[in-house]
Amino acid sequence: MSGTLGKVLGLWNDTLCKQAFSLLRFRVLGENPIYSAGGVLRSSRHYKTKPTHGIGRYKHLVKVLEPKKKRAKVQVRAINLGTDYEYGILNIHMTAYDMTLAESYAQYVHRLCNKLSIKVEESYAMPTKTMEVLRLPDQGSKMTLDSVLTTHERVVQISGLSATFAEIFLEILQSNLPEGVSLSVREHTEEDFKGRFKARPELEELLAKLN
Amino acid sequence: MRAEPQRKKKKLDPRKEQAVKDRLRRRIRKLEKATQELVPIEDFITPLRFLDKSRQRPQEEHSPEESERRALLLKRWALYKQQEHELEKDTIKAMLEAQQEALEELKLESAELYAEAIKRDPSLFPFEKEGPHYTPPISNYQAPEGKYNDITKVYTQIEFKKYN
Repeated sequence: MSGTLGKVLGLWNDTLCKQAFSLLRFRVLGENPIYSAGGVLRSSRHYKTKPTHGIGRYKHLVKVLEPKKKRAKVQVRAINLGTDYEYGILNIHMTAYDMTLAESYAQYVHRLCNKLSIKVEESYAMPTKTMEVLRLPDQGSKMTLDSVLTTHERVVQISGLSATFAEIFLEILQSNLPEGVSLSVREHTEEDFKGRFKARPELEELLAKLN
Repeated sequence: MRAEPQRKKKKLDPRKEQAVKDRLRRRIRKLEKATQELVPIEDFITPLRFLDKSRQRPQEEHSPEESERRALLLKRWALYKQQEHELEKDTIKAMLEAQQEALEELKLESAELYAEAIKRDPSLFPFEKEGPHYTPPISNYQAPEGKYNDITKVYTQIEFKKYN
């Protein structure tokens, strides 16, 4: 009994001795096992205190791309800053029968805003509208199909336009407006935003039923 | 005897109505949680008949003089456009400077007017302008009679609820 105890104690003493010896060894060499390079508060795992700790890390260098899913919440904030007025979010609509003209003008406006350091929030296209033109000939009474016209619309959304600069900006837009394109600058509203989404008849039905 | 069926209406109907309303509200919440889909824009979808291989034109070969002429023409055009752009930049700069000068002068004149001038114009917002037309309007022009039909495709979002 005492013998085993003694052995156990002896073993204890042995391990303690070894640890003490290792610590002493570090002290003798001049290294502090706890506060070495890396500043890791560990004394038993030596590799984490070495200067090569974290040598394989790369995740902190890779840019985390946020998955741009559906349309985020619209922050419709009209920035009214007292005397130094800045407009909120403005929509510049360009409508034309000719798609190439509308697109090239939208491109031009976008580039102009970039050049003049005006923040462009978004640049998107509104759904195209198709119109059937029916003509009534002089003699007959039957309407005949004349042509099918498509109206294309492009929108450039900007924010942070100061009052004094807005006038100059509008002048530039007007002077470069191509033939056949109509320009419209208005404030961004909820209806404008909702016009881009598909109709949801079922939801409307249920809402009507509730009320 | 006459009262009994009335009692049933008083107790069960409001409860039933409540249950129906709750169900509706739960459905509406579920539908509202689903993401709203954007209307697909027909401009960006090329019609299939244009993707036909037989419509592709073969690459044109030019003689060296022709390609030389084209390159020089491009350079002249680029120069002309650059000059145009420079002119535009100069006009913008001049306008800005003139505006700043005018505002400074106004500041010296009266502070109130300056404060008013800096404020934004509420009547500026729905700004509409049509592009220049190719020909001036013809006087005494009678447009032919007819009408317009709007045939834009209306897209609806189908909520997948019933699996039939």
